[in-house]
Amino acid sequence: MRRFLERLLGLDRRWIFLFVLLSVAIPIIVPIGLPVTTTESTRKAFDFIEALKPGDTILISFDYGPSSAPENDPMAEAVMRQCALRKIRFIVIALYPLGGLNLANNAVAKVVSEFPDLKDGTDYVNLGYKDGASAVMRRMGDDIAGAFPTDQKGTPLSQIPIMKGIASLRQVQLVFTVATGIIGEWWITQVHPQSGTPVIIGPTAVSAPKYYAFLNSGQLVGMLGGMKGAAEYEKLIRARYPEMARFYTTTHDFTATKGMDGQTVMHLIVLLFILLGNSAFLLSRRGAPR
Amino acid sequence: MTFNLGPVVLVLLFAVVPIIGIFLGLNSPGLRSRIPIWVAVFAGLIPILAMYIPKGFLSGQTGMSQRMDDWLIILAGFALLLGIVNVLQNNFKKVARRDSGWFYSVVLLIGLFVTGGAGIYGAVTKIGIGFNPDGSPTPFKYLTDWFFQPLQSTIFALLAFFMASAAFRAFRARNVEATILLVAAGLVMVGRVPILELLAVPFPSLHASAASASQAMGKLTEWIMDVPNGAAQSGIIIGAALGAASMALRVILGIERGYLGLGKGE
Repeated sequence: MRRFLERLLGLDRRWIFLFVLLSVAIPIIVPIGLPVTTTESTRKAFDFIEALKPGDTILISFDYGPSSAPENDPMAEAVMRQCALRKIRFIVIALYPLGGLNLANNAVAKVVSEFPDLKDGTDYVNLGYKDGASAVMRRMGDDIAGAFPTDQKGTPLSQIPIMKGIASLRQVQLVFTVATGIIGEWWITQVHPQSGTPVIIGPTAVSAPKYYAFLNSGQLVGMLGGMKGAAEYEKLIRARYPEMARFYTTTHDFTATKGMDGQTVMHLIVLLFILLGNSAFLLSRRGAPR
Repeated sequence: MTFNLGPVVLVLLFAVVPIIGIFLGLNSPGLRSRIPIWVAVFAGLIPILAMYIPKGFLSGQTGMSQRMDDWLIILAGFALLLGIVNVLQNNFKKVARRDSGWFYSVVLLIGLFVTGGAGIYGAVTKIGIGFNPDGSPTPFKYLTDWFFQPLQSTIFALLAFFMASAAFRAFRARNVEATILLVAAGLVMVGRVPILELLAVPFPSLHASAASASQAMGKLTEWIMDVPNGAAQSGIIIGAALGAASMALRVILGIERGYLGLGKGE
């Protein structure tokens, strides 16, 4: 028994790696279709955007990079789809230096191809990337054109129809930051108190615990926490707009709902490893000479 | 013509005074430390005053605080440039000396020049860094889509393997605190995902009870995240904010001088 426990504790990590690879890859290739339960923070975010009037404007800030794209991409796409369905206009910016703009361009191109009626400059606009995230936010709180004089194509903001009547963040009904790292927090701590604009955040799962403090204090309207939050949002969209199911049942595109299958199996594997490791540790300690 | 006081004061504080200081500093070494401290004092005080004093020259649309935000955006751009210069210096040195791993520096430099070149090409030809007019990707977009993004995703994805390995080897119930952490983590891991439904997949008769148990676990998880976690996070955030405020105050008052990089006695 003791030898077995010692062998278990000294298990070659490559076996663990193999388990992890299979547990993530198989459910993505062959989806299980596990159910997703919704949490209050995601429902609040969804309901807030649902309550906006057609013609209202929200700002979507791409504050993440490719490293967390599988978690963050589905959030951004789901909110943009909801905006397209509700005729809510959206302004896209990117503040994350390592590939935020490219992800924004890809997400916008994807959603625009799904909703061909969306017109650039009228229903949405992509202002591009600007360095110096917190300074850019503060500047936008007073004057958006001060931070982004033109859109990504070089058209001055004064000539873009969607920007008529929107001089600062005070005229925007919501800021939705899809974030990894500190940039998302700056929207809450620096922009919301200054302009009063409500903020919804879509953080990665690893940084989501921090934002519960802001949810409790009322500084955040809602939160889509990690891939789970994105999958919840996809579920809420599918329930409210059954025609949207076509984007979430395809076996070709990656969705958070599909990703949750892999994450569930992965959680199970990690839990089993923790149980196994602790069982072996406790039994070997019991058997060890004092 | 209306006189705009804000920009004049800013130019005085951040251009004229430091330039005079530099010239005087050539003869008076004491000024070498005092001038940057005064610059930091003004840079720190102006945004704070602008929050409380609603005067146009300070907090108006073209006031001092707003102009300083513009400067900060420009400075951030230059900081990026400084970073590139630093990367070039370090890696060229490494290649020239044939230090260990110098070949990786060559790869890094090639990546930097090719990607940077593609970006500059997009700017010069005005096609940008997104799509060409015919919808095809620009060279920069091709590089980011097919090299940068997959590489970044791969590096981050490796974390999953190491986390699982660490969970097996290091996440042990060695004492009471570690056990509480372990139990809380286990509950959250079960409650955040439909593990119980996954385990019930081969047993259709258990589907309903697995679903209700999963819902109960979900509620417990939400409570853990909302109440104990939320309270602890509030404490951490407030503590960190107080620390940042006191540090800012030390810089503004000239007590904290480490950022100046001065030698002893200066």
